[in-house]
Amino acid sequence: MKLGSIAYRNIYRNLRRSILSATAIMVAAMSIVLLFSLLGGMKADITYNLQTYSTGGIRIRDRDFTKNERLNPMHLTIENVDILSRELLETPGVSVVSPRISFPARIYRGEENYNAMGVGLDFSTESAFQDLGPDVLQKGRLPESGKNEALLGYKLAEKAGVGIGDKITLLSSTASRGTNAITLEVTGLAVFPLSGMSDNTFYAPLDRVQHLLRMPDQVQEMLVKFDADVDERALTASLPSGLSDSENLEITYWQDIETSYSFIQMAETVYNIFALFFFFLASTVILNTTIMVIFERMKEIGTLSAMGMNGKDLVRLFFLESLYIGIIGSFFGVLLGILFTHLLSITGIDFGSAMEGVDFDIAPVLYPKLSLKSTVLVFFYSVVMTSVVSIFPSRKASRIEPVEALRAV
Amino acid sequence: MINITGVKKTYKAGDTEVKALRGVDLVIDKGEFISIAGPSGSGKTTLLNLIGCIDAVDEGEILIDGEEVTSLKKEDKTTFRRNKLGFIFQSYNLIPVLTAFENVAFSLQLLGLKDKEIKDRTMEILREVGLEGMEHRRPAKLSGGQQQRVAVARALVKNPLIVLADEPTANLDSHTGEEILKLMKEMNEKHGTTFVFSTHDKMVMDYANRLVYIHDGEFTSDERR
Repeated sequence: MKLGSIAYRNIYRNLRRSILSATAIMVAAMSIVLLFSLLGGMKADITYNLQTYSTGGIRIRDRDFTKNERLNPMHLTIENVDILSRELLETPGVSVVSPRISFPARIYRGEENYNAMGVGLDFSTESAFQDLGPDVLQKGRLPESGKNEALLGYKLAEKAGVGIGDKITLLSSTASRGTNAITLEVTGLAVFPLSGMSDNTFYAPLDRVQHLLRMPDQVQEMLVKFDADVDERALTASLPSGLSDSENLEITYWQDIETSYSFIQMAETVYNIFALFFFFLASTVILNTTIMVIFERMKEIGTLSAMGMNGKDLVRLFFLESLYIGIIGSFFGVLLGILFTHLLSITGIDFGSAMEGVDFDIAPVLYPKLSLKSTVLVFFYSVVMTSVVSIFPSRKASRIEPVEALRAV
Repeated sequence: MINITGVKKTYKAGDTEVKALRGVDLVIDKGEFISIAGPSGSGKTTLLNLIGCIDAVDEGEILIDGEEVTSLKKEDKTTFRRNKLGFIFQSYNLIPVLTAFENVAFSLQLLGLKDKEIKDRTMEILREVGLEGMEHRRPAKLSGGQQQRVAVARALVKNPLIVLADEPTANLDSHTGEEILKLMKEMNEKHGTTFVFSTHDKMVMDYANRLVYIHDGEFTSDERR
């Protein structure tokens, strides 16, 4: 009869208590898997939104643009866009490039006017960079290059009281600090993943925006996305060597740009502390169970000791018992966590009302995302933490003199 | 075999000190079937615990098989018990999650013997104590007498130098108690194992080859039969 078999059978001696202990571990492990999945979903969502609408994987700008950004330096542009695009696309690891101009504008509609954020895009290539399919394009069609057309966020359209086929006139400052206006026909309405964008953003063909802002063949920035499994930082570092005009450019890796991603990194630390706290709680249950078990089996400890079982084996016996309960609790906890995560990843969790008015690069409906690595880690961490705590009381028990233990009632 | 010289032991019970043994001397020879008899609180269990190396003397020394056991370290006492001593307890003290076979075999596993030898020796001793066919029963499915037979088998299976039995029949009816005593006696004669047991039961005393009376921590008589 191996110690492991005795420990396993001991679990059944007070089955209700063993189930209770395993349940506490299960709830902790399940909560952590869900918590990490929520964080994973949030991270994936913020990453996509930031890389798509704000930073790209790498953002390329004129070297002086960022430090003057607060002054809206429209004159600090990137020239020779076609050459740069070609050089970027020839770089191994770069999958897609989006040249763009973001600019503030005022939309005039009758007597009313509305602040808006315009983005000039090359619609012939942009579909490879961002999802412009039916999930985003709710009504109408995308604008075409060379035509005075616009795609409006649906809330902006509602606010301005325009629909498909209507025309809007917008006014903006040009790169030469003048003012210019253009009239665009609304060809489509968009529901952007970020509710703030639907509220104030419109897309227009890049060439028409260049014309409006007096920026011929120039763009404000180029956003780059990577191939999967590429070393993003290494690619960012090596990128300037492949570009002919790199000394005039600022090339920044997306995580180095001050954005919501830093919040996620902070949240990750906070969640790890939460996880520790949950496991600590579950461990106290095991600790309590082990102490109770030791008191109940004191006479048995004395008998085993009298028979010649050494202290290490006694500790191992209680450790194995806790280990088995820990494995069972953690296994079912992780399993339930995976199940709930799977269900929630289909239905999503709607934070719409909570996110109302919050300026954050996150979609109102969050889809938890399971990470194999963190789930496996949760399982092992839970098992180790809950079983290791049993060592403290059982070590103490192993030091009790056999005669004292045998006297226990 | 066992040399006890000037052994004293005092317990604290709250604020009062109880002198359990007041400097006792005793020599027990190999193969003896000796009963330590006396009323409750006379010090007989204390003496057995000291011989069994599960308690420590305050003064004096105990030599077992030439080895001075009173000064052994805790781990060495554990090893000594494992290799040379067998215990039979008043309330059997079997491990409830183990079957009769496993309870007995566990003693041999602690010695690190091979599975085949463990199985053979366990089955043989269970046959000898009359538990053949009951080896797969757990203690809860055995009567008090059967449980004590398992305890006897567990103590004897490793061929110890000494078997220490603390009031082995106290929890049994007189008929079953007598059966257990006969069994112990039989084992003593067959294997030549030294048996030291405590009792205050007249019937148990009658089975002993040697009867040592203890009262208030001192021996009052030593009678060989």
